[in-house]
Amino acid sequence: MEKKKRGFSFYADIYRKILVQDLKTKMSYRADFIISTIGMIMVNLSGFITFLILFRNFPTINGWDYYHMLFLYGFSLVALTPVQCFFDNNWNLRFMVTSGDFIKYCFRPVNVFFYFMSEVFDVKGLGQLAFGIGTLIYAWAHIGIPVTALTIGKLIVFLLTASLFMIALMNAAAATCFWIRNSGYVMVIMFRFKDFAKYPSSIFSGIFKFLFTFIIPIAFIAYYPSLVILDPDNVPLLSWLSPFIGILFFWLSYKFWMLGVRKYDFTGS
Amino acid sequence: MEDQALVMKNVCKDFKVLNRHEGLKGSIQDLFSRDYKTISAVKDVSLEVARGEIIGYLGPNGAGKSTTIKMMTGVLEPTSGEILVNGKVPYKNRTENCENIGVVFGQRSQLWWSLPLIESFKLLRDLYMVPQQQYEDMIELYRSLVDIEPIINKPVRQMSLGQRTLSDILAAFIHNPAIVFLDEPTIGLDVSMKDKIRALIKGLNKEKNTTVILTTHDMGDVDALCRRIVIIDKGTKIYDNDIEHLKGYFGSYRTLHMKLADDTWEQMLIDEKTTDVMQVITEKQKVTKIKDIRLEEISTEEVIKKIYEGEAV
Amino acid sequence: MNPRKLLALTRAGIMESLHYRLGTFVTLFANLIYLVLVYYLWKAIYASSGVDVVNGMTFTDTMIYLILATSLFNFLEMFVVWDMSRSIQSGKIILDLLKPLKFRTYTFWSYSGSHVVSFIMTFIPTFIIVMIITKGAIPMGLNLVYFLISTLFALIVNFNIEMIVATICLYTESTWGINIVKETIVLLLSGASIPLAFFPEKLRAVVDFMPFRAVYDIPLTILLEKNGADTLQGLLPMFGFQLIWIVILTAAGSLFWNCSVKKITVNGG
Repeated sequence: MEKKKRGFSFYADIYRKILVQDLKTKMSYRADFIISTIGMIMVNLSGFITFLILFRNFPTINGWDYYHMLFLYGFSLVALTPVQCFFDNNWNLRFMVTSGDFIKYCFRPVNVFFYFMSEVFDVKGLGQLAFGIGTLIYAWAHIGIPVTALTIGKLIVFLLTASLFMIALMNAAAATCFWIRNSGYVMVIMFRFKDFAKYPSSIFSGIFKFLFTFIIPIAFIAYYPSLVILDPDNVPLLSWLSPFIGILFFWLSYKFWMLGVRKYDFTGS
Repeated sequence: MEDQALVMKNVCKDFKVLNRHEGLKGSIQDLFSRDYKTISAVKDVSLEVARGEIIGYLGPNGAGKSTTIKMMTGVLEPTSGEILVNGKVPYKNRTENCENIGVVFGQRSQLWWSLPLIESFKLLRDLYMVPQQQYEDMIELYRSLVDIEPIINKPVRQMSLGQRTLSDILAAFIHNPAIVFLDEPTIGLDVSMKDKIRALIKGLNKEKNTTVILTTHDMGDVDALCRRIVIIDKGTKIYDNDIEHLKGYFGSYRTLHMKLADDTWEQMLIDEKTTDVMQVITEKQKVTKIKDIRLEEISTEEVIKKIYEGEAV
Repeated sequence: MNPRKLLALTRAGIMESLHYRLGTFVTLFANLIYLVLVYYLWKAIYASSGVDVVNGMTFTDTMIYLILATSLFNFLEMFVVWDMSRSIQSGKIILDLLKPLKFRTYTFWSYSGSHVVSFIMTFIPTFIIVMIITKGAIPMGLNLVYFLISTLFALIVNFNIEMIVATICLYTESTWGINIVKETIVLLLSGASIPLAFFPEKLRAVVDFMPFRAVYDIPLTILLEKNGADTLQGLLPMFGFQLIWIVILTAAGSLFWNCSVKKITVNGG
């Protein structure tokens, strides 16, 4: 029997097909879609209200004024979209693992990680994207950053970079359930950590600065990548390096996830 | 070797589990305990299955059946021993192995929950890179074996359990695998659905010469499909031969059915070597009236029960 | 109802929580990291403002308030909504309804065990750490007793809110949406993400009458002896507020539940 090659275009094609089918069925559950969208709006609204209340009491944070903070906020929202849209099935992982249902992902001749993630595309993430882009444009206009092809290009590259870190963080958090049976809380708290991505990471010092940069890379979810746009004259080295570090983090989290699949003994049944 | 679909040599599988203590105090102790024990789920099992064969893989609950199946499908790595599926080591080449196997776990659908069945089929066709002609032939074959019209456009989530199992079995054959593993495919189904599913499996096996490894607790499945059965208990293989051969061992056993005065049937398993059938009937007649009598050979179900209960073969 | 039967449920819950030992440690550890994040953020915020007291809250007050709010949140966290939607989808709800206890009572007491564990494993360690770091900023007296009482009340209020939201699940499959709306509203309006003291007055006036304040703000205000909680005159209205909401929510919740259950039994589940 000849060996079948499955390359990038194969995976892209499969993902597109699953996505189209999935969207078709999603359309038929309108009530669910509406309630989820309302939920997403509430989350963003409440985040925004928290932000406003904070700035009402404190005009600057660590030298960052309202609009710069707003930029960071919008940046982090956009960077969170990919993890929300494409990797949302991570939230179901622990249930599948405890019930034993996870085994079904291991019987197909495709990458388990891909097959698992392809099952869910979360439309709600798009609402967040719109909210984030709006905030970003508003802040952008008020700060007066010049709009050139270069800055837009940079923005896109570094937004993608930032999202890699968030994906890596959630992959790793979800994968803990292969070893730790009751690990749902790890995901919950990691997801809450991301709320701190919208503050300048210069607030950390000492060992925690290291921790939140290289171990739990909150500083990379918005702060370092956005400095490329916000402060083009003083870009720290870490900002320039962030795309590579992002790829590394993503790769590590993927390896960790796959290691979990191998280690897991599938006893739940 | 080429005509063997599956070969297992001295396969063992151990699990490490924490020794748990009882009670509230025990729970607190366990927080810090490092007291592990090893459990052997599968002990030194060897097995060969020829192409096109349907074997019944039987054993009481917790005997190590699913662990074996998981090793054959490449999901679990054996602690020691060797497994070859289609001539390859499944654990080392998981993706490649998946190309040539199909798996059905009764009650656990592997299809896309909200998609109509036909869309699931198309996605599987693409996942397995099945040529269009082969795919169409297969669907044609399905049509000839079973009435798929009522389910083909139905989302899996709206199907009854029977329809779902049927769909899962069809989906497992779509890429024409060399081996299909069926884990309790008829569990929880009604009698007519069971028949339909058995006929389907038989038909597919015949048409495509697919090897089928069937685990089940339903001896009806075994009677309908398998000539050969393998029984494992507490991780060890205790029987591997034809059913007929097995029945031979219990040849002196008869099942006696008696219809009593209140029109109920009573059943009894009798060993003719030790007990006289006529005497049993006479004894019974002293207590109640017997309207009808039927004497049958031992059923597979009862043979298996005897073995699980520890009767030596 | 037999109290021994109820305590047996508590005991079973404790044992189940401890069963996942690694999970317990990871939870504890993740919480500590979260506290570090909160600490750095507010240190920076207060440092930038240049004043020591904002809206009657010093940095230490805010820290204690937020950290303890977070651990209260973990302590109070229930997955009633998720459990409910899963048991509806699997049909297990019918079995639960057949149990000899009233469903609401059963749910409450089966959660009590994990509450006890998380109180001991997360709240008390956090409390001790905060006590040591702030060097006696938490008053140590009868207020601790009052705090425990009002936490118990908070638990009941929170349970009722959870149950009401969970009951909505009988009508729709959109669990995620419903749950996120609840969580966002509770977190924002109870003062768990930003102390209510920082809220603008108009918003404050509305929030003051809502039940959410009874969950986080009141226990913490009592603990910190703010707003006259050190006198009986100040204390009694707070307890009164919690009790009134307990009565209202319990009545509304069980009415809603009973009506809804009738609906599913009529529809045949």
